[in-house]
Amino acid sequence: MKAKTGGITMDKIRACDIMVCAMAREIKNHNTVFHGVSSHMPMIAILLAKALHAPQAVHLNIPGGVNPEMKELQKYTSAGSALMTKSKTYFPLAEVFDLSMRGGLDIAFLSGIQFDNRGNVNASVIGDYNKPKVRMPGGAGSAVLIPTAKRAIIWRTKHDRRTFVEKVDFVTTRGNVDKIITPLCIFKMYKGELILESIHPTSSIEEVAENTGFPIRYIEIKTTPLPTEEELRLLNIIDPQDYRNIEFA
Amino acid sequence: MSKLMTIKDAVNLIKDGDILGIGGNVLHRAPMALVREIIRTQKKHLKIVKTAGAMDIDMLCLGECVDSVDAGFVSYESEFALANHYRKAVQNGIVKANEHACYTVISALRASSYGIPFMPVRGLVAGDLIEVNDYFTRINNPFGDEKVTVVKAITPDVAIIHAQEADEEGNVRILGPQFEDILLAKASKKVIASVERIVPGSKFAQPGENADIPYFLVSGIVHIPQGASPCSCHGCYDIDRNSIKAFKDLTDKSKLADYLFSYESKDRGHYNG
Repeated sequence: MKAKTGGITMDKIRACDIMVCAMAREIKNHNTVFHGVSSHMPMIAILLAKALHAPQAVHLNIPGGVNPEMKELQKYTSAGSALMTKSKTYFPLAEVFDLSMRGGLDIAFLSGIQFDNRGNVNASVIGDYNKPKVRMPGGAGSAVLIPTAKRAIIWRTKHDRRTFVEKVDFVTTRGNVDKIITPLCIFKMYKGELILESIHPTSSIEEVAENTGFPIRYIEIKTTPLPTEEELRLLNIIDPQDYRNIEFA
Repeated sequence: MSKLMTIKDAVNLIKDGDILGIGGNVLHRAPMALVREIIRTQKKHLKIVKTAGAMDIDMLCLGECVDSVDAGFVSYESEFALANHYRKAVQNGIVKANEHACYTVISALRASSYGIPFMPVRGLVAGDLIEVNDYFTRINNPFGDEKVTVVKAITPDVAIIHAQEADEEGNVRILGPQFEDILLAKASKKVIASVERIVPGSKFAQPGENADIPYFLVSGIVHIPQGASPCSCHGCYDIDRNSIKAFKDLTDKSKLADYLFSYESKDRGHYNG
């Protein structure tokens, strides 16, 4: 993709930065926001949102430090005790789940392996559940958080026809997906169907359609805003080791 | 009465076929020394329970100690990626993966700790997990019209956890993230804790220094410094990348013995009678 906008060469803009900034912008001030394991991108997005437009957002995580002030991020985990650094209260995983069950969790960031356009999410198996061709890690909190969080926002760093399929192999959970953020675009659920919300300026509708196993439908095509200079500057401060790119590396 | 014991005596409390609850979360404060000893002593047909497991479950699967795994997530997270021994064992039909949401493991342990046979779980309302697993079902709300999803209680025969401190009497203190360890201890019939340090009980009597798991729930304390290594232990050490890589590179069970032997003197070094 060699398109140009406003003098910025598109091939220098990384998908991880577009995705993390898109995730951060979904977070509004005062939102309660949770990320789990294997979740460097949403963890960094929450830290970015709190540094920028949502300072009062409440950062919740598995170890239980509320609004941690991490000196440095850990490469191998998004569930380590660094997430308790300087936190004033302890609100661990079981409490976060309970909060979501009673309707108090604004945003849960989750992922999965396969998605279809009815909002079904598969994080479990390819093939038969009892004798799977591929056993995947499992949905972690997805099966209870996607139905209960006010907004379940999914990120997935692969966008191809094996990921966005006509019909998922197994439904780990369904319904109430709010958005899915990929390296190419942002999907949103609209009247029970996953439709295109915006295309990243580094991609095109042709590329999205080519790599998606269900028909692309939309109301209007928008372009995902690029990361601003201020966002990129803060990202380099929050994440100097570039762990936000870990799923692409 | 002192609860201090050797690692051999502690692991002898675990019987073949037991439901085994494991403390910690992914690569954090997993009771790896106890896991290694379980493999050395060739325990069989264990039914593993954990919210989110990684190397512990992966190693027990390579060691052929496992019949089933009840967990919400089994993987090493981003850097070390997938738990390939576990995956292979499940894909070959040797281990049964009972997929939960992490919350349904918590709910199943809560049911056990409350002494009730099942627990309603809000949220688990749609999807195939309810249909394919016999530990989930839907019942009528006895006080209303809607259906409620419930999860069957899980009562581990033994819980193994690793903590920073315990006294001889068996009071256990966890510093930093506690994950589900305290609930697991209350839900299980027996608790074995390996600890970094044995401290005088008087320390826990100081204001703000209370232990987290009381001695009367605990069957055995084993003093094993580095007992969570190569996983992390808050305030003591971070992960040992080389050891995790070395284990992940093992291709089959025959290579596991040498790896386990490299830890044997450390694991068995204290209170060895």
